[in-house]
Amino acid sequence: MNRESRRAISREYFSRDRLAAHHFRSFNAFLNRGMQEVVDEKETIDTDIGDKEGQEPVWVELGNVRVTTPRVREADGSEELQYPQEARLRNITYAAPVFMEMTIVRGGADEEEHIVDQSETKVGRMPIMVGSEKCNITGFSDEELIEIGEDPADPGGYFIVNGSERVLMTSEDLAPNKILAEEDTKYGETIQVAKTFSQRRGYRALVLCERNREGLLEVSFPSVSGSINFVTLVRALGLESDEEIVHRVSDDPEVVKFMLENLEAAEVQSTTEAIEALGQRVAQGQGKNYQLKRANYVIDRYLLPHLHEDGIDEEEVRLNKAFYLCRMAEACFELALGRREADDKDHYANKRLKVSGDLMRDLFRTALNKLARDVKYQLERANMRNRQLSVNTVVRSDVLTERLEHPIATGNWVGGRSGVSQLVDRTDYMGVLSHLRRLRSPLSRSQPHFEARDLHATQWGRICPSETPEGPNCGLVKNFAQAMELSQNVEDERTLKRELSAMGVRGIAGLDTLERSAAGD
Amino acid sequence: MVTIGVSACPECDSRVRQDGIEHVCEQCGLILGEDRIDRGPEWRSFEDNSDSVRTGAPLTRSRHDRGLSTEIGYSLRLTGRKRRRFARLRREHSRAKFSSKAQRNQVYAFTEIRRLTGSLGLPKDIRDRACVLFESAQSARLIRGRTLEGFAAACLYATCRTTEISRTLDEIIGAARATKDELKAAYTALNRELGLQTGPIDPREYLPRYATELGLSTTIESRASTLLETAIDSGELCGRNPSGVAVASLYVVARESHERITQDQAAAVGGVSTVTIRANYYDLQDLQNQS
Repeated sequence: MNRESRRAISREYFSRDRLAAHHFRSFNAFLNRGMQEVVDEKETIDTDIGDKEGQEPVWVELGNVRVTTPRVREADGSEELQYPQEARLRNITYAAPVFMEMTIVRGGADEEEHIVDQSETKVGRMPIMVGSEKCNITGFSDEELIEIGEDPADPGGYFIVNGSERVLMTSEDLAPNKILAEEDTKYGETIQVAKTFSQRRGYRALVLCERNREGLLEVSFPSVSGSINFVTLVRALGLESDEEIVHRVSDDPEVVKFMLENLEAAEVQSTTEAIEALGQRVAQGQGKNYQLKRANYVIDRYLLPHLHEDGIDEEEVRLNKAFYLCRMAEACFELALGRREADDKDHYANKRLKVSGDLMRDLFRTALNKLARDVKYQLERANMRNRQLSVNTVVRSDVLTERLEHPIATGNWVGGRSGVSQLVDRTDYMGVLSHLRRLRSPLSRSQPHFEARDLHATQWGRICPSETPEGPNCGLVKNFAQAMELSQNVEDERTLKRELSAMGVRGIAGLDTLERSAAGD
Repeated sequence: MVTIGVSACPECDSRVRQDGIEHVCEQCGLILGEDRIDRGPEWRSFEDNSDSVRTGAPLTRSRHDRGLSTEIGYSLRLTGRKRRRFARLRREHSRAKFSSKAQRNQVYAFTEIRRLTGSLGLPKDIRDRACVLFESAQSARLIRGRTLEGFAAACLYATCRTTEISRTLDEIIGAARATKDELKAAYTALNRELGLQTGPIDPREYLPRYATELGLSTTIESRASTLLETAIDSGELCGRNPSGVAVASLYVVARESHERITQDQAAAVGGVSTVTIRANYYDLQDLQNQS
């Protein structure tokens, strides 16, 4: 490529919109669909009204959520469009009102269900990223920007909370929903472990599959203390016969040999027995019925939650979980046989970046839960005092606002992470740009983590090989490479799955049910 | 700060040096004086996960305990017996939180005031004052026989009136859980017993709000304000509904400058009828023509 075209390309990459493009895209995706998805996940707010005899149950259905552009409300009641510079100068928050459709429904016990009240109400204020779609200065020309006191060269991509500019640090996490096989030492001996961080809707569960020194497989997952025999768990999930279990793990004769050892040591032979055995573990000393109930609940709730999908029946999901566990078992055995090497945690294929939109999504989810709890309390209180239930009088809009603003202002994010938001480095223009394109590893800086700090070959073209601080953060705080592009989550996984199956991929989890329901539409 | 008058040690006559918080003789080590406050830098480590806070949140009148409550937090590290024990402690703690019925009512009223200020978009200090007013109403035993919701709304209405950022009764009712009768009963009691510092409402207090709601520019708003000033000085509009006067003045000025607003729109914003608008419109126009 000649010099001229190279220059043209770099110019494009260094244009104002591109420098913080990853922040904009992520935050816009959050505003456009992320927020609605979080609300749809929540769906309803249930109350304790109706628990008593002769009382009709009451609940709230959540509908569409809508964000306007930032506005400021004065003490005298007037409301005006707000521009970032005003927020900076007056030490206020650059935030837009959030409206949500809510319906209070009563009935279901003796009466028919009927709507008590339905309206779109203001539920709080959402801090808006400067330069994002909902920002008031997007689409302004340089002259217009200067007119309202903005810097035309400012890249945006940060929030303004209480007058201070805060940027959300991109964090580099281990990829969820992926099997990572590695070797570990326990009691002085090497064992093989396959790990998966299973993640769905903000719930994260670590599932471990270990091959212990006797060569037996054990699985551990949240809500179960210690570990469970692999064969027991797979049988509980509906994979019953010896032959099928072996076949699902591998056809490799060596692996089959290992698998047979496991099957010989199996404690249970059938699905019912397996669930009983699991019940013994999760609800020790409880009644038999409760044990079964608890065992089923634990399987469906805490084991590999990422395999769940809306509109797919539990039966199929369980079988998929069994298949997934078999893949983990295979990974352990292959590692033991030296057929594969331990997965590299520092390989960039095993990393995922959490950008501002993903972080805001976590925040919005907890804020909405808090709001829901408050609405529930207010409804119960209003009902107890024989008040007319109305949407407007049960929503306290400052609940959501505070939950959204406070973490951005302090950097103390949900889930105990701190330092997520930082004051934008305004030392000079380059400082701002570098700060917006910075990413942080969640590893503690007080520990060595030599491998994690090293430059990895797969960072080529993604991460700048030279820009990293000196001192304790060296190699943990990184910066994007110049021409880095960040890909995003797909909007609709089902379409993707259908597309894949049309291209000839077989055995995609949950696709058959989807096809059937699609045909039924 | 303890200032030491002497610059030499009284024992051995050698030099005195200030060392941190102490004045100490360089030669014999005699301590001549001590400062109660260490003004030196604070050596604390702010490494990973250490908290930099030194105190809690400031005291506030808008909480029943002024924000000095004890809460039992949650920890993910606790398991089994200890976790259950903390759950029990938390339950007992929440039961013992209120020592009296009055305190429980106060919490309910304060959350209601908080909700109202939030939904009406009023500033924080209004909330604090409304809460203080509620507390004095409670100690004057005004609440017995009237409703809490009514008092919460009335306290907020009264605070708005006294701080000259009036809201109409209808606006408060629209957001409140109380009915109009409850609010009125509570407000009358407050006004009579506590002697609120309220005069007639200045219609200009409504102008900025109504102007933005009608989508009028600030020039129109300021012209309406001058018009109202002359009207008030002339005493022509005494005894009129201030909200109606305010919205009519905006209507007058808007019409003059050919801004399109209808009487219906104006009436809806001001919470009055179109008849009121028209009556005020003629009077205001007369005033304007005179001047």
